[in-house]
Amino acid sequence: MSTLRLAAGQFLRNRAAAAGLICLLLLCIVVTLAPVIAPYNPIQINLGAKLQPPSATHWFGTDYFGRDVFSRTLYGGQLSLSVGLAVVLFAFTLGVPIGLVSGFVGGRLDNLVMRLTDAFLTFPPLLLAVAIVGLLGPDMRNVVLALGLVQAPVLARMVRGSTLSAREEVYVRAARALGASPLRIMFSEILRNIMSPIVVQLTIVFSAAVVAEASLSFLGLGAPPPQPSWGRDLSDARNYLSDAPWMFLSPSAAIMLCVLSINFVGDGLRDALDPRSWRVRAKPVPPAAPVAVLSEDLA
Amino acid sequence: MIRVLAVRLAQIPLVLVVVSLTIFAVTRATPGDPVQIMLGMQSSPEAAAAMRREFNLDRPLPVQYVLWVDKLLHGNLGESIRLNQSVTSLLAQTLPVSLKLASAAMLFALCLALPLGVIAALWRNTWLDYLCTGYTVASFAIPNFALALILIYVFSMKLDWLPITGIGSSHSTGLWGAISPFIVPAIALGTLQTAVLTRLLRASMIDVLGQEYVRVARAKGLLPRTVILVHALKNALIPFVTMATIQFGYMIGIQVTIEYIFAIPGVGSAVLNAVINRDFPVIQGFTLVIAAFFLCANIVADLLYAVLDPRIRY
Repeated sequence: MSTLRLAAGQFLRNRAAAAGLICLLLLCIVVTLAPVIAPYNPIQINLGAKLQPPSATHWFGTDYFGRDVFSRTLYGGQLSLSVGLAVVLFAFTLGVPIGLVSGFVGGRLDNLVMRLTDAFLTFPPLLLAVAIVGLLGPDMRNVVLALGLVQAPVLARMVRGSTLSAREEVYVRAARALGASPLRIMFSEILRNIMSPIVVQLTIVFSAAVVAEASLSFLGLGAPPPQPSWGRDLSDARNYLSDAPWMFLSPSAAIMLCVLSINFVGDGLRDALDPRSWRVRAKPVPPAAPVAVLSEDLA
Repeated sequence: MIRVLAVRLAQIPLVLVVVSLTIFAVTRATPGDPVQIMLGMQSSPEAAAAMRREFNLDRPLPVQYVLWVDKLLHGNLGESIRLNQSVTSLLAQTLPVSLKLASAAMLFALCLALPLGVIAALWRNTWLDYLCTGYTVASFAIPNFALALILIYVFSMKLDWLPITGIGSSHSTGLWGAISPFIVPAIALGTLQTAVLTRLLRASMIDVLGQEYVRVARAKGLLPRTVILVHALKNALIPFVTMATIQFGYMIGIQVTIEYIFAIPGVGSAVLNAVINRDFPVIQGFTLVIAAFFLCANIVADLLYAVLDPRIRY
């Protein structure tokens, strides 16, 4: 427990990571409270107020149907963040057990699983998602399924690699000697010890999923039309780029802010969960004179 | 090394078999009938049946798969259901366009990442480094289609410097006419790669600059320029070249949004259209070729690694 607290301290001392976390939390709160905060109904068409520039009544302007861009961006965030979370859950539940079993059991099973993930990884991820969503039909469930299927093999490979090295550790041998079942060793002992790289990878999955969801929606393969979505709203903005550039500003800023804060949190977690990179507050050691080092080396 | 190359090459067909089975299963397991889409709802049952027979869609699934693979082995990717065209000729039309765009984007990424990576490493932890790092962080966060819209707004609409269409059209004239339509899409597509490559080069350059032989070169009294360019950069470029090759293979697959915005007739648009219209032969043929392309790029990257760094023996 104390290592966790130490890691949390390291994380919060990292200014970029702390800022990212605060930003991400704010984003989550604002998006969850969208029904309270949003000044307008995001799908309410008001042709009398179409393509209005940002003003006191419409902070980020209105789109071609007179819908409030700010309200749409808030509700679009609900979609993006929930899809991102769902993909993280999906990839975790599919990728982690596959990687654990494959790495722990090894042998032929491992070989087969790795060839399968190889095959999945040879598809460019976005194109694979386009194919899956396009064939299954544009629907949020299918988007989550497609993005999860794209991300799970990456996670499985990573977990397998960590399991391979964890398998030889002393604590695993100890658990085995104590008569722990393989399942218990895998899902309790090993999983607990390889959790840090998994958590870091999951933040990457999260930000990749947010971008991929926006890309799919942009291509018309995401949520069906009236529903606000960052990617689809950007796709709509494309047609009014010269008349109404504000339509484009708020969804793209939202995507950037979201991805940026997740990436900062991910980078911070990577450093905080790796004790080797901890910055210990100690007296600075005066650097050795380089000439002396060099002459020693040459001697 | 030849043995390893042989093993790697032998693995390609194996992976491709798995890929082809997967994509075949996905296309057939999902709802939507290409014949219905092609002929419309009012089609006569006879016409639909004739068309199914023509494309072997009335046969059992294993037979369909075997027929497809048999054709594949004879170098025939089949006929598009929707376009009156063979998949091979569609590929011959779209792949060069995509390759050109990917090359332009990679050229942009290399031109920017090389100086940025070196500068960030040489002046690390100064404002120059923070500027470069800030650039990579921002580039990681902005999706290529959002960047494309910004670039279109600024360079094509406000400044009117660059055209936004024209790739794949024949009426562009002169050198500028041939190059200019690629500039905006290439920047939009390549920016993510500039970030990936800059970060990598910065890290490997810092690593190399701390090595003994660089210190020895400095101690010998060589010009800083010689030390940096000949001794350090040459070695720092090894992982950089490998990564650039992998990223090039990757670009073919992530172009789809850029092709969509700029109406570029490349492989991404072809797959998108084929998926929407359930054009099975096109989906199968294209994904297989793209996967093979990606695999080859990875093998080339491995080989380059061994060529550039003689210490590496496979």
